[in-house]
Amino acid sequence: MKKIVLLNLLFSICFIQGNEVYKFHSLEDEKRFYDLIQEIRCPKCTSGSIASSNAPVSEDLKNKIAELINEGYSDKEIKEYAKARFGNEVLYNPEVNSSTYLLWYGPFIFLFMILTGFFFRRKSQ
Amino acid sequence: MKIFIRLVILIIPIVGFVFFYNLLTEDKFYPGANFDRFNVPVFALDDITSQKIYTKDDLNDELLLNVWASWCITCRVEHGFLMELKQEGFLITGLNYKDESTDANNWLNLYGNPYSFSLHDIKGSLALDMGVTGAPETFLIKNGEVLVHYSGEVNLAVWDNVFYPVIKENKMFR
Repeated sequence: MKKIVLLNLLFSICFIQGNEVYKFHSLEDEKRFYDLIQEIRCPKCTSGSIASSNAPVSEDLKNKIAELINEGYSDKEIKEYAKARFGNEVLYNPEVNSSTYLLWYGPFIFLFMILTGFFFRRKSQ
Repeated sequence: MKIFIRLVILIIPIVGFVFFYNLLTEDKFYPGANFDRFNVPVFALDDITSQKIYTKDDLNDELLLNVWASWCITCRVEHGFLMELKQEGFLITGLNYKDESTDANNWLNLYGNPYSFSLHDIKGSLALDMGVTGAPETFLIKNGEVLVHYSGEVNLAVWDNVFYPVIKENKMFR
């Protein structure tokens, strides 16, 4: 009897300690979830995604994302949700907007300038 | 062409100098890459004494909302300054974050209570909705709108540089 109680206790501990299990309506939703948590940065430990983090705030955010997916939110809306609360830097891929044009297109402009300079130099010689 | 190169060599350090000069001498509080004022989300939470369920409407018109927990060491450091603020007449409401109510109440009994009341957010749901990443964090709220969101310990320097200018600008706590 004692052994059974002890075994039960052990199993229940495993159950409590086990990772959060996320439930979804469909397999696509589940895939979306795992893609999304790779693309959102952990607000507390900024060098990792929330998928790779078990900081309390990341766990909360993952739960919230699972909840939002089940409520039918789109990927874009979920990213907006995270961005509104934790800032632009929470998204791994910076959005293309007026404040990030330089970031996205700067390297090409720079390359263009260098190439132009290079060809002009050739001609003058 | 040579003139062009000489110009570039001259311009690059000047641009760098101006950039870093502006960056280093800026003494304005920088609340984050895209801090926008936002409205306090809708909530319904117990207070830590489990006497009443509070909603957004129960918050005062002007208040400081301080995220704290008994397990949070920096909150203990910050606590003395919050007591001073309370004595000066600032209304501080607590948001008890991921904490057991018995631990929270014991902590307040032991060190003193600077809060008008403390919401008990054991799951961190309201905190997540307000963009809290940990404790302590402090919000300045006027008529349900968040004007300042500060992460970390509030002390005299932070108060003077971050909170006081906004309080003055918005004519609060008069």
